[in-house]
Amino acid sequence: MMQTENKKFITKLWLLLISLTLFSAFMAERSHPGLLSVLIMAGVLAFKGRIIVDYFMELKQANPVLRKLMQIYFYVIPTLIILSWLFPQQIAEWTAL
Amino acid sequence: MSEAALPPLFINSHRRNIPGSLAIWAAILAEMSEFAIMFIVYFLARAHNPVVFHEGPAKLNTTAGTMNTIVMLSSSYFVVRAVMAMRENQAKTSARWLWAAVACGATYLIIKYYEYTWNTAQGLATETNIFYAVYYYVTFNHFLHVGWGSAAMLWVIYRLNTGIYTQQEHEGLINVALYWHMIDLAWITIFPLLYVIR
Repeated sequence: MMQTENKKFITKLWLLLISLTLFSAFMAERSHPGLLSVLIMAGVLAFKGRIIVDYFMELKQANPVLRKLMQIYFYVIPTLIILSWLFPQQIAEWTAL
Repeated sequence: MSEAALPPLFINSHRRNIPGSLAIWAAILAEMSEFAIMFIVYFLARAHNPVVFHEGPAKLNTTAGTMNTIVMLSSSYFVVRAVMAMRENQAKTSARWLWAAVACGATYLIIKYYEYTWNTAQGLATETNIFYAVYYYVTFNHFLHVGWGSAAMLWVIYRLNTGIYTQQEHEGLINVALYWHMIDLAWITIFPLLYVIR
């Protein structure tokens, strides 16, 4: 019974991830580049990463250090996406050789 | 939590509450660090070359990138189902789910090969500009990971078919499942960076 519920839950997550991917593709093709679309894309990436780490890799109930190590990836990369879109010149200045 | 209450995933590392073996986590974290370095290169190159990074994604084959994302997410789902089947002591069903995941891996490689051929026909190559240099470096690296990840799943299928894994002991399957999810995680990061954000 528990396994059946788990299977249904995982299947729903898979369909949600597919839907978010199709939404991202739609955004890429149809939307105008702008802060809102960048924020949405960063949010979608953070959410997808969290789902895979917590439920596909089953880290939700696992060692908190390991879970945080994996989760932090999907805080840092979306943040870098937003920062690199908002402040490209400053980043270029700070990293110029 | 008593040992009896722990899910089978944690049996071998239950004291640390870690799914799979410590060795596979060392490999996963090393690989994630490798991809992180590539993503840092992407962000630096983007900051220094905003125009080519704005124009680059529009010339890529978004359909191929989207299809590959769906294929990778589906393969991860099939791998989860393979693990669930093994927990129910259904080795044959587990192997069938893994075959589905391997088929996804092969489909990914075929789509990526088609995409590279399509790029060449459009005149897009590593020397076109720095966006495409980063694109080829990151995606070809990921392509290799999908290749050997698929080979690892074939090895697990062989072991499932020979009855080596049991309901209680199938850490090899768990390790390959975790590694494959890492490859999926890398791709879901690559997809928005190279195909979506402009």
